[in-house]
Amino acid sequence: MGYRLGIDVGGTFTDLLLFHEETGRIWRAKTPSTPADQSIGVLEGINQVCERAGIHKDAIDSIIHGTTVGTNAVLEGKGGRVGLVTTIGFEQILHLARGQTPGPLAGWMIMMKPDPRASLEDTVEAQERMDARGHVVRKLDEADIRAKIEGLVKKGIESLTISLINSFANPAHEYQIRDIAKQVAPKLPVTCSYDVLPQFREYERAETAVLNSYIRPNVSRYLHNLESKLKGAKLKAMLNVLRSDGGLMSVHAAEDKPVNLLMSGPSGGVTGALFIANRAGFPNMMTFDMGGTSTDVSLNQGEASIGRETNIATFASQNTVLPIKVASVDVRTIGAGGGSIAHVPALTKALRIGPMSAGADPGPACYGKGGTAPTVTDANVVLGHLPPQLLGGKMKLDVEKAKAAVKTIGDAIGLEVHAAAEGIINIVNESMCGALRLVSVERGHDPRDFALVAFGGAGPLHGNALGAIMGSWPVIVPPAPGVLCALGDVSSEYRNEFTRTFTSTVDKTKPEDVVKAIKELGKKASDWLTSEGITGKAQHIRYEADVRYYRQGYELPIQVNPDKLLKGFGPLVNEFHNTHQRLYQFKMDVEVEIVNLRAIGIGKTKQIKLAKKKKKGAPDPKGAVTGSHKVYFSGAWVETKIYDRAKLSPGHVVKGPAIVLEEDSTTLIHPRHKGVVDEYSNILIYPAGK
Amino acid sequence: MAKAMKKSTKSAKPAAGKTKKVKIDPITMDVIENALKNARYEMDATLFRTSVSPSIREQHDEFPIIADPEGRMLVGQFGSWLGDLKNHFPDSIDEGDVIFTNDPYMCGGTISHLNDWLIQMPIHYKGRLVGWTSMFGHQNDTGGPVPSSLPTDATTIFGEALRIPPFKLYEGGILNDVALNIILANVRQPEMNRADLMALVAACRTGAQRIRDLCERFGTDVYLAGTQALMQRTYNAMKSLISQVIPEEPQDFEDYVDDDGRGFGPYKVKVTIWRKGEKAYFDYTGTDPQSEGPINYYLNEHLLKMFIGVYLIMTHDPWILFNDGFYPLVDIHIPEGTMLKPHHPAALSCRTHLLGRQFDILGGALCKKAPQFLTGAGWGSSPHMIYSGYDAEGKWFNAFEIGFGGIPARPFADGMDGHAMWPLFTNQPAELMETYYPMRVEAYTSVIDSGGAGYHRGGNGLLKVYHFLAEGEVSIHDDRWLTYQWGVNGGSKAMRGKKWLKRADGSIEYVASKCDHVKVYPGDELFYQTWGAGGYGDPLTRETARVQKDVRFRLVSPQKAHDEYGVVIDPKTFVVDEEATKKLRAEIASKRGPAVPFDMGPPLAEILKNCKAETGLEPPKPPVFKKVAKMPIYKSKPSMSKLVLKKRVA
Repeated sequence: MGYRLGIDVGGTFTDLLLFHEETGRIWRAKTPSTPADQSIGVLEGINQVCERAGIHKDAIDSIIHGTTVGTNAVLEGKGGRVGLVTTIGFEQILHLARGQTPGPLAGWMIMMKPDPRASLEDTVEAQERMDARGHVVRKLDEADIRAKIEGLVKKGIESLTISLINSFANPAHEYQIRDIAKQVAPKLPVTCSYDVLPQFREYERAETAVLNSYIRPNVSRYLHNLESKLKGAKLKAMLNVLRSDGGLMSVHAAEDKPVNLLMSGPSGGVTGALFIANRAGFPNMMTFDMGGTSTDVSLNQGEASIGRETNIATFASQNTVLPIKVASVDVRTIGAGGGSIAHVPALTKALRIGPMSAGADPGPACYGKGGTAPTVTDANVVLGHLPPQLLGGKMKLDVEKAKAAVKTIGDAIGLEVHAAAEGIINIVNESMCGALRLVSVERGHDPRDFALVAFGGAGPLHGNALGAIMGSWPVIVPPAPGVLCALGDVSSEYRNEFTRTFTSTVDKTKPEDVVKAIKELGKKASDWLTSEGITGKAQHIRYEADVRYYRQGYELPIQVNPDKLLKGFGPLVNEFHNTHQRLYQFKMDVEVEIVNLRAIGIGKTKQIKLAKKKKKGAPDPKGAVTGSHKVYFSGAWVETKIYDRAKLSPGHVVKGPAIVLEEDSTTLIHPRHKGVVDEYSNILIYPAGK
Repeated sequence: MAKAMKKSTKSAKPAAGKTKKVKIDPITMDVIENALKNARYEMDATLFRTSVSPSIREQHDEFPIIADPEGRMLVGQFGSWLGDLKNHFPDSIDEGDVIFTNDPYMCGGTISHLNDWLIQMPIHYKGRLVGWTSMFGHQNDTGGPVPSSLPTDATTIFGEALRIPPFKLYEGGILNDVALNIILANVRQPEMNRADLMALVAACRTGAQRIRDLCERFGTDVYLAGTQALMQRTYNAMKSLISQVIPEEPQDFEDYVDDDGRGFGPYKVKVTIWRKGEKAYFDYTGTDPQSEGPINYYLNEHLLKMFIGVYLIMTHDPWILFNDGFYPLVDIHIPEGTMLKPHHPAALSCRTHLLGRQFDILGGALCKKAPQFLTGAGWGSSPHMIYSGYDAEGKWFNAFEIGFGGIPARPFADGMDGHAMWPLFTNQPAELMETYYPMRVEAYTSVIDSGGAGYHRGGNGLLKVYHFLAEGEVSIHDDRWLTYQWGVNGGSKAMRGKKWLKRADGSIEYVASKCDHVKVYPGDELFYQTWGAGGYGDPLTRETARVQKDVRFRLVSPQKAHDEYGVVIDPKTFVVDEEATKKLRAEIASKRGPAVPFDMGPPLAEILKNCKAETGLEPPKPPVFKKVAKMPIYKSKPSMSKLVLKKRVA
């Protein structure tokens, strides 16, 4: 038992958190990120944190890393050149997609459809056919597909995807083609759709498998580089990456299925927030991670909610999303953040926020880097939510430039500049609430039963306002947002899931068939854990069945116990009826259908124990006050104290209105609210009377 | 209907709601607007997760709206006028009531065929009516003589399917299961209809709850004032848009629906548009009289206003949030007894072709004087494929699918190949169809060269090949097999659609555009090829690189690149011969003369003359218009007796 290191590479900073498993001690470090070669910043951080801990680098046993390299490849359209093999008759599967054009009526007029990630030019058809039950209708023509793959390789594809009709029911032809491809080009990475997503709906499966191939070269290059740099720096640690579902996997596994890394970044945030919320005594919580261009929200009950569809907005088009069907933390992303630009269209004179963003360069007007467009951050500056001088004096904000930018909005809608700024904040908060409602009320949860964990660059500024609209208390602001993700890395467990489509109504199904199938999946999960070095009691296998009413389009995951299932489907069916009733206020007298079976393998890691700080005597935090400043709340200026977060201790109660500053985030506490500092240095915001 | 029209068109200002005077700031307005949008998407999400029929769940043939207390749409995807329906309930509509109907004639055309089941419910907050929520969805089947309930040979609505007059499905929260039983006993897959109906109710309840949340948060008066302000805002925006883009001089446009399924056609539909002051006038005089077949489209004027509004917004300023606020600015005239306002009980079930066609003529007429906003024709139809019978286990099946075609070339881009003209529709996965029905999908691809050539290319149509594995019957609904999807500003017309059966023995039979009871047997294959969409601008000016890319992607053939784009490409290496191309383009241009504003194809007489040779089908006979009488519409007595209700509650 030794040292575990979590690394979160953000846009600006790289955060590191070192954890000693025996003593439970932790050390932190923070270095500027180095986008050109991220390993430089990482190694610099490792040196720092080891120095602080007084250990040699080779004492680190494992490194856990959340990475956005796959996501960025998709967003920037910079993945590899992918070849695609489809069943004959389906070469345009990605080109036609599901045929959807946006709403409202005549939305097709403004749709821009980006080219697929596997070009039609690089798509070939295999002469073969399976039926939906997995029986061979037409045998594969091997010579034909061999010649076609040779053609693709000659053209210069960097990665190959095989996605055949009905392969979810029988992957034999996909595997046959994979073996041929391996003979043609032994080093060419090949993705079979069955291995990535063995479920029906051919377009989604093909898109997911192609995306896997698309980001494969980027992810592989990045991880190899990092691994060799670490080795070069005499590190012996095993490198693990954080999966989209909050679990861990080895670099080797990640290279095979990089599509599992697409939400690696957000999952670090959710895992870290869960760690903090669970320890603070609020296992039921929503996360609110507001960054510069986008915001992620999720709802969790003691553990991360896992969704099985991720919609990724593509770089080329705001109104087209890719449905990527892999397990990931159930995060909703909306395209609004601190950098979102406010504008007023001429005809309606309505105030709109986004989807355009000022990005990091030139950034909001108040950064003084040449930006003039009014952003959400500028509105925060105009209102005094963000004091002009941030802590440490590293960065000054230009209030006059912010005012000039926001004034253009005020002029357009006939409002004075502060009222306009408040409008911008209110509207952006409303979109955030829309996203929070989707993860809570839409799924049958009352947001008033959940705490709200606010993090990310702008989360702590907006968290209090959201808590008030949603009735979600407390709003938890953890210390140091970057550290939160690194903490998520270190606190995560090994996780992988194995799913297969089953599709059979319970009246026509024998329990023993289901049990047999699901135990096979359990065996796969166990084997995977073993291959990741997790054995014996550290292995936990959990089983789920996706269930729906016959022919419904969406399933509900229901937990099952294989041994109990042998006795009959009664409890499973009841649980499904009840869940359906809770979510949608009705149940039906229709056959219940099992659609997918799933085994989830979890490998326990030793958990971090954060040291509790003792409460001090007096709740009044006057020693932490560094100054005071006027802030605009609901139409009036209010004198507001500014606090240094580093000087706040457990037991302190910060009365709103207040601003709490720390190195890379600012917390705003509204009038008639209070911030209670808990034993883990979180600020818990409540209405004053609560 | 006429009364409501008069009232709303008399003054050119939106009617004020019965709300207390509350001052509303623009920010609160925007916050309410965002919340309304979120609520509407939540309604969709609830429906998709709980409905069962593929038409609603996979294809999204469903339309939610949230309205103000007067029934005017505040937010929605498509919208339906609610005003008329509530007049059926003279007593009152109270909290916990849920209204249900599918009859176009009994709701003033809010929905337009019997397959669309419409749910509407009042939203009350603290006992006060604060709005309405409503949603309709296309049912797979709603009874009547043919599976999926769209008989091509019906001559009155009585011959189409089960009619459900407006009634309270729930009264005071109590389900009227007697009525529901009678309804479900008349459809082929009752459990599917029940599930979809309950899913619609669940979605409406979700929307209603969100509105109550808003009332709680802002106070009812502020919420209501906010909604009125939102309508005023759209009114103001549309006022300036209309005066900018609709000329005072009348512009007309006409087009055709090819046939009525009974061997007659084509039928003409015509609109004339002009502006006087701030008001826009849309006159459908010149549209053919109603057909004896089921292709009539009973068009609600309010719905038409919405179509017009959306069209103007999408072509000119997509930032405008669309609601009913601008309706007083538009005046509609549809002559009675025409296909667009037929007398009861004219047959309506196959109205989808005319519904699409009126979008084509709207686009054509609106932009005739502003050709830079024109798009090619693309609304062809909403191609349906229906296959029913008994599978190997002796179980009844009924597959129903809505297909897509080409998306028109647009002023700034090509049209998409094989996408949906209807908003947010999606196709049915082959793997889903093969899992649930005795069939295989042997191909799903766009048809090379089927999109109209142009500086921007019209989208290609689709080819879907169904391989049947059980004996059964097929129905088809399609159009644009005869007339062409036109191109604009020098862009070309597109390829027409066609359907044929390849029997298990290899013989070929062409299949009519609208038909029922086509017998199929195991091993037979249906080739369903839909129409492409029209092109935009002169194809001779299209950059050679873009033409070359289409050839490389097998979306345009080297031959078409040569003949219509004037681009010389080596079919093997795809190298463009720029010199030869220049020469060829000059040659084509000199032969062809200047580009025409609309390429509609040959004159109708010539199309009809060549019909059999080109399509394999007999040409339709000229329509015969008979004088038809008007049968009174049944006035339903829709409530449960209060006494019965009280007893049941007890």
